[in-house]
Amino acid sequence: MVRHDVVVVGAGLAGMRAAIEASRYGADVGVVSKLHPTRSHSGAAEGGINAALGNAGEDDPQQHTFFTVKGSDYLGDQDAIAVMCEEGPGDIYELEHMGAIFSRTEDGRIAQRPFGAGGAPRTCYAADITGHVLLHVLYEQLVKSGVTVYEEWFALDLVTDGERCVGVTAWDLVRGGVQGVEASAVIMATGGLGRMYRGTTNAYACTGDGMSMAWRAGVPLKDMEFMQFHPTTLKSNGVLITEGARGEGGYLRNSEGERFMFNYAPNAGELASRDVVSRSEQTEIDEGRGVDGCVLLDLTHLGAKRINERLHGSRELAMDYAGVDPIEEPIPVRPGSHYHMGGIDTDVWGHTLMPGLYAAGECACVSVHGANRLGGNSLLETVVFGRRTGAAAAQDVRRNGTGGVFSPSAAGIAERSIGRLLDKNDGERPHVLRQELADAMYDNAGIFRTAEGLEACKAKVEELRERYERGVVVQDKGRDFNTDLIQAIELGSMLEMADCLVTGAIARTESRGAHSRLDYPERDDEAWLRHTLAFYDEGQVRLDYRPVTITEYEPAVRSY
Amino acid sequence: MQVTLKIERYNPESDESRQETFTVDVVEEATLLDVLDVIKDEVDGSLTYRKSCRMAVCGSCGMRMDGAAVLACKTPMRPVVEAGEVPVISPMGNLPVLKDLVVDMEPFWAKFRAIKPYLDDGGEEPPVKEWRIQQEELDRVMTEALCIQCGCCVSECNSMEADPDFLGPAALAKAARFVNDVRDRGGKSRLEIYNGPHGVWDCTRCYFCNQRCPKGVHPRDAIAKVGAAIYQEGMHSDGGARHAKVFVKSTHQTGYLLETHLVPETVGAVNAIKEIPFALRLARAGKVPNPLKPHKAKKLDEVRKLNKLIESQEQATLEAANAGPTRPPADPAQAKESE
Ligand SMILES: Cc1cc2nc3c(=O)[nH]c(=O)nc-3n(C[C@H](O)[C@H](O)[C@H](O)COP(=O)(O)OP(=O)(O)OC[C@H]3O[C@@H](n4cnc5c(N)ncnc54)[C@H](O)[C@@H]3O)c2cc1C
Ligand code: SF4
Ligand code: SF4
Ligand code: FES
Repeated sequence: MVRHDVVVVGAGLAGMRAAIEASRYGADVGVVSKLHPTRSHSGAAEGGINAALGNAGEDDPQQHTFFTVKGSDYLGDQDAIAVMCEEGPGDIYELEHMGAIFSRTEDGRIAQRPFGAGGAPRTCYAADITGHVLLHVLYEQLVKSGVTVYEEWFALDLVTDGERCVGVTAWDLVRGGVQGVEASAVIMATGGLGRMYRGTTNAYACTGDGMSMAWRAGVPLKDMEFMQFHPTTLKSNGVLITEGARGEGGYLRNSEGERFMFNYAPNAGELASRDVVSRSEQTEIDEGRGVDGCVLLDLTHLGAKRINERLHGSRELAMDYAGVDPIEEPIPVRPGSHYHMGGIDTDVWGHTLMPGLYAAGECACVSVHGANRLGGNSLLETVVFGRRTGAAAAQDVRRNGTGGVFSPSAAGIAERSIGRLLDKNDGERPHVLRQELADAMYDNAGIFRTAEGLEACKAKVEELRERYERGVVVQDKGRDFNTDLIQAIELGSMLEMADCLVTGAIARTESRGAHSRLDYPERDDEAWLRHTLAFYDEGQVRLDYRPVTITEYEPAVRSY
Repeated sequence: MQVTLKIERYNPESDESRQETFTVDVVEEATLLDVLDVIKDEVDGSLTYRKSCRMAVCGSCGMRMDGAAVLACKTPMRPVVEAGEVPVISPMGNLPVLKDLVVDMEPFWAKFRAIKPYLDDGGEEPPVKEWRIQQEELDRVMTEALCIQCGCCVSECNSMEADPDFLGPAALAKAARFVNDVRDRGGKSRLEIYNGPHGVWDCTRCYFCNQRCPKGVHPRDAIAKVGAAIYQEGMHSDGGARHAKVFVKSTHQTGYLLETHLVPETVGAVNAIKEIPFALRLARAGKVPNPLKPHKAKKLDEVRKLNKLIESQEQATLEAANAGPTRPPADPAQAKESE
């Protein structure tokens, strides 16, 4: 059993930024992460991070706010978006002072490039390894801060005293065994859930654990039905080719060599919003103008020098996983599940509805992305709201004291349920269920959705949850470094979160942002300009709704 | 396609080691990691390895294939299969094995922490906005910034095999990333860490790290850059740098490292006695001939050429280091702008 004032679960950009801030406020901080911090998926972000610095052209936070609101298809909360866009530049400068290596303009300022639907060149970048650079900079600062990190501890459940969150239970992967982690404030920063889809840009670790922990503890999840599909992912393993490739001037072509995007988005072309580009690609593929289930991302006209300087990482990925050198030939790409807009419902300081529980980063929903996130906005979200949440948690602890009582039986309960999982010897292997889930989600809760498909998907998810409850077989019976066990637990999280996602999607009978219903092709502000809340109700999903915060920008038609 | 692997297994709970052969069917584009996944899912769920990103950026999946460190997710299997090979997969070297292909990374991170792995701002107030820096100045640390801390270099490091306390290629590449960052104010105090015992001068220049790094970080070149900075600061009269000079001399003369000469010339005859075990360990690892029985390398010409090359490389890095880094000016106009 360990104890800290503030415990952060997850050590990606959001988690580390929160931990650093809480420790600056004098809190005793512990970080629990199933991966070593630098292994977090934030490191995979290539393209960049948005902030209205105005280094590459006229820009200001108001413009950033407007384009984010528009990009969100008006589902984003405008007060939260304004906070992010106004505070963003300060956070970028701070990262730069910490040592982040941002690419530069001629006059030595941070360079910025255009990203889809941004309206101005606003995306700061470090070549095409932005996430990697930021993740390592924050880890450097975490080491400097002296915060305790429990590496390769897998958080299992939130512990509450009936009213407030008082800590978590965690499985120590290296040594085996359940650990109680007591805290006056718990910050969830566990990232996304893209792994429930076949064809995803997400890492193996993106399984929605934190969201499902919160959901089971009774905390509502917001806008779970909104899953963004990235237009340019490799066919073999879903690895993403950055939007920066189009930002630098890359073309999308169909099998006839045509730059088809202008048929769908006459002004923005390849730089239209992600949901628009993904749907256009899927339409081209469905109508027979694809190449082996893909379209072509053509960079050849950019030349070797530009590609090597600005898109070196993308070139390497294309060569490693598609066997294609983009200097010589176009890369076959297709849409893949990428970013989950929904998550644990929070306010602009990371508070959830449960006292003592906070959330930040991709596992949270503030909401700044609404129905569709703009490229470059989620890295910004991790640092802005990571910082705010760390500050709020530390200050709340100082003001309100240590909080509730951590029941000693919590660890025992968790230990017993893991014991049951390990003891099971006959039944299905988890990977069978995982594959069926991934196929069902991609086929029926993907880019284009219908009532019929979604209902079928819901039935499938319910069936899989039942099969999971009956017990899956973990073949590794040891306690030390049991990754077989961890994967089985992750499957449980994914199944629960898939249920929340699909249930929300069935109910939302409109098309908005990334949620595109063929049977309800129009946006319906009258009925659906509201957030979905998914509650835990005896294992099932119960939906409720809440109005969207609109301050300045009245909903308008979204066209590019 | 069908892939066969021989995997070195270790079960910590029974303390059993064994080699096991697996054959599975995988898709044509499968990487080594994909093959392990198929084995774990379909054959033996207890097979243990680390993974996360599967795109060569998280640094989780370092392991050895036929004795050389690789990232499993960056290793396509088709060429291996086409060559008819049955590779042996084993955990990385120079780090304790926890289970199967998983090693204990703590010694690795302890060295990371030891090199002051963060920008030293010298307690100065930063500018209101960003530091004004030219792209070329940043390019100087961009290569080292590619490091994903996977440990592949450390796995193969010659010197670390003999001296487990050697800071090693990954930590020293990280060091170079700060030494040449124009924003860093660490100066001499930073360099002292790298100039000390187990620092840059422990490197035997075997170049295995450059060869094995999956991200093109070139840790050995980074070490040379740190060495150059130490020279530039006039700190080279210390023990470590002297060690390096003698090292070059010694290999130049004989084509092999003569630890018997090297140690006394660096630290003096009395202290040398303490260092003998180090030389013996090197000898045992087959990296140098038995220090008590010096002999000549066969291709002395080649060794001399190599030394020339190293010298000219170091000269070049030294010149580069002399040309910069300069501190970025805190632009007064910029400060005004945002007041
Ligand atoms: C390929 C790719 C490219 C992207 N490019 C961009 C881009 O260019 N710009 C942009 O703005 N956004 C981009 N994004 C999105 C952005 O990277 C992510 O949304 C963001 O990094 C998420 O950060 P995070 O800190 O919330 O989560 P993560 O970085 O995913 O971290 C999650 C952390 O939680 C821990 N964790 C999870 N479950 C548990 C558990 N049960 N117990 C303990 N710990 C747990 C993990 O160990 C990890 O440390 C990209 C995403 C992908 C996949
Ligand atoms: S230098 Fe290369 S091999 Fe070594 S840890 Fe870094 S990326 Fe890995
Ligand atoms: S060159 Fe030096 S640091 Fe690199 S592997 Fe050889 S001894 Fe180790
Ligand atoms: S799985 Fe991340 S580097 Fe291989």
